[in-house]
Amino acid sequence: MPTLTYLQAISSALRDELRADDRVLLMGEDIGVFGGAFKVTDGFVDEFGTDRVMDTPLAESGIIGTAIGAAVVGMRPVCEMQFSDFISCGFDQLVNVAGKMHYRQGLAVPLVVRLPSGGGFSGGPFHSQNPEAWFMHSPGIKVVAPSTAEDAKGLLHAAIHDPNPVCYMEHKHLYRRVKGEVPSGVFETPFTARVAQPGSDLVVIAYGAMVPVALEAVSDGLDGASVEVLDLRSLVPLDEEAILDSVERCSKVVIVDEANATCAAGAQVAALIAEKGFESLDGPVVRVATPDVPIPFSPPLEQAVLPGVDRVREACRELLAY
Amino acid sequence: MSSSPTDVLVDVTMPQMGVSVAEGTVVGWRVEPGDRIEAEATIAEISTDKIDTEVPSPTSGVVAEILVPIGETVEVGTVLARIATGGNGVRQSPAADKPQPLDGGDAGPAATETPSPTSPQRPAATNGDRRYSPVVQRIAAEHGIDLSQVPGTGRGGRVRKQDVLAFVEAAPAEEPPLHTESPYRPEPVAPAAAVAPAPVVDGGLSRMRRQIGQHMKRSLDTAATCTTWIEVDMARVQSARTRLGVTALAFVSRACIDAIREHPAMNAWLEGDRYTRHADVNLGIAVSLGDDGLIVPVIPRAHELSVEGLAARIKDIAGRARSRQLTPDDVQGGTFTITNPGQYGSIMATPIINQPQVAILDFEAVIKRAVVVTDADGNDSIAIRPMTILGLSWDHRALDGAVAARFLASVKRNLESVS
Repeated sequence: MPTLTYLQAISSALRDELRADDRVLLMGEDIGVFGGAFKVTDGFVDEFGTDRVMDTPLAESGIIGTAIGAAVVGMRPVCEMQFSDFISCGFDQLVNVAGKMHYRQGLAVPLVVRLPSGGGFSGGPFHSQNPEAWFMHSPGIKVVAPSTAEDAKGLLHAAIHDPNPVCYMEHKHLYRRVKGEVPSGVFETPFTARVAQPGSDLVVIAYGAMVPVALEAVSDGLDGASVEVLDLRSLVPLDEEAILDSVERCSKVVIVDEANATCAAGAQVAALIAEKGFESLDGPVVRVATPDVPIPFSPPLEQAVLPGVDRVREACRELLAY
Repeated sequence: MSSSPTDVLVDVTMPQMGVSVAEGTVVGWRVEPGDRIEAEATIAEISTDKIDTEVPSPTSGVVAEILVPIGETVEVGTVLARIATGGNGVRQSPAADKPQPLDGGDAGPAATETPSPTSPQRPAATNGDRRYSPVVQRIAAEHGIDLSQVPGTGRGGRVRKQDVLAFVEAAPAEEPPLHTESPYRPEPVAPAAAVAPAPVVDGGLSRMRRQIGQHMKRSLDTAATCTTWIEVDMARVQSARTRLGVTALAFVSRACIDAIREHPAMNAWLEGDRYTRHADVNLGIAVSLGDDGLIVPVIPRAHELSVEGLAARIKDIAGRARSRQLTPDDVQGGTFTITNPGQYGSIMATPIINQPQVAILDFEAVIKRAVVVTDADGNDSIAIRPMTILGLSWDHRALDGAVAARFLASVKRNLESVS
């Protein structure tokens, strides 16, 4: 199996889909001639042409609206938001048109919106957000967030094959930092959670860029405790069975979000555990998340608000001692 | 008593359970003098005319004295007991030594077994304030463990899941079973007829059962009870209730109220020779409390309510009855009662009148039956219709059979013309 970066895995999935399926087309700002702001689609326009790798105007509402029309008539459009933050300009098309099309008109919208998200590189408040919970809250849209190169490819294939609108959260910080063996060709990763590291005394539940943070935080053994790390991978649908299974075995839970804390994906996980996992708990459900502030531009300030290895480790130690 | 001069004594009084209640009876004490009690924990059980309830402790402290013995009836506001809040004078009793369960309920063996004074593992640092997490309580309950015996290694001596699991692991080694009973059981044989049945329940009747029995027997001894039945086609009610999302009982209630308007003799009280006819319809609805008994909460001024309003009020009082949250005011002043045990498929009953009312309507199951229907031209045919049988028990001292029959005919007409 070839070793790919997270970014190369995304490129690989897109290329394989374009080769395998005439219905697949890409749309986005500067994804053609320039190859994309992060070079995910570098060279694509030469192989597939401007009809299938389309440079669009700077208008997210237009991108998603056009893609919805294409999806309804049978295409498999994949839109790139240059930064996930910019999705707010296309929010109405995605949430109200794409998300509710099947409910209102009975029409499938097999649309994928790629959302390069997350902070950690001094992008400031407009280029560092994690908006996944906005879409979790809106019925009709699936939300996935890979943390490994293999899942980056497999989840993107599955998203493109899915008949529903799917928000594909790709974390910018992982693009070139995460590498791994990735199977060649088209394969699907199911929209379920994955035990990234098994354990029995405490479980850290995370997704996206917080999975490597969690794994590093517990890597020194935490005084001999057996700590599990659960990678959610899919936020909608949320793998309740896997979450409750981990909680039942471990009885102590730390939930990590890079997103702002209030109503984040982790808040939903905490609510689920309170509702259905109460009898398994041996301590308070602990959350580590970014406080409800815009992401600062200043590097030291940004490092202070984002959940890092030390904060996760400290939360685990505290809860293990409880 | 051992309370010290520094104690502050707080009175526990007979609570006012409703505007119409002037007195209550103490039916049980949960504590003895010297016991420690937490604020809001139940200190006594009391009974008013129809409602049994619990008296919460107004404060945390030690029970200094109990002033009203079980069985005594006292006025509202009477001091029942006094609690010393100074924290001194704790009698060294098992009850004072035990952890208070989080939910105030039965904590399993911990609540019933006195810790062995020779127990070697009793941790010195623990006291009666220990709290246990859900998983620890569940494991303890599954294994019948007294959590006060489990040494805690968590923060502040807290018992963690690991601690109780270790205790479970260690426990069998102390007392290996001498004999393990085989799980084999012979097939049960039918008991011989001459043998007395083995009692599953043996003991006195509950207070609620005794009261229901007294009320029912008094009614039968007092009233000249007759029962009249009528068949009703519920097709229109069925379709209307589906449309409105309410129960058929709400429609029957409304139909009775309208029929009472035509036949006000049904809405009366007969107390000895005293006969009172009421302008308001205060509608009693019998609510089963399962094995515990039943209660009849009242919807006051039910004639002012629509079908939807009645449905909402029935749901409210039934819910509060089942969660034991009715007040004495909720069960007083009824002028007519409906009982509705039809969900099990029974079709007829002879209900007993709720004294001092003069009538009670019994509404049982609605069942599809083949009936003869006549069309507008007078042609008969057999049709499948959802039918029910309404039974009205009425007091022949207050009215006669013709009135009862006319009232039932009105109820039938109202139900069959629901739109």
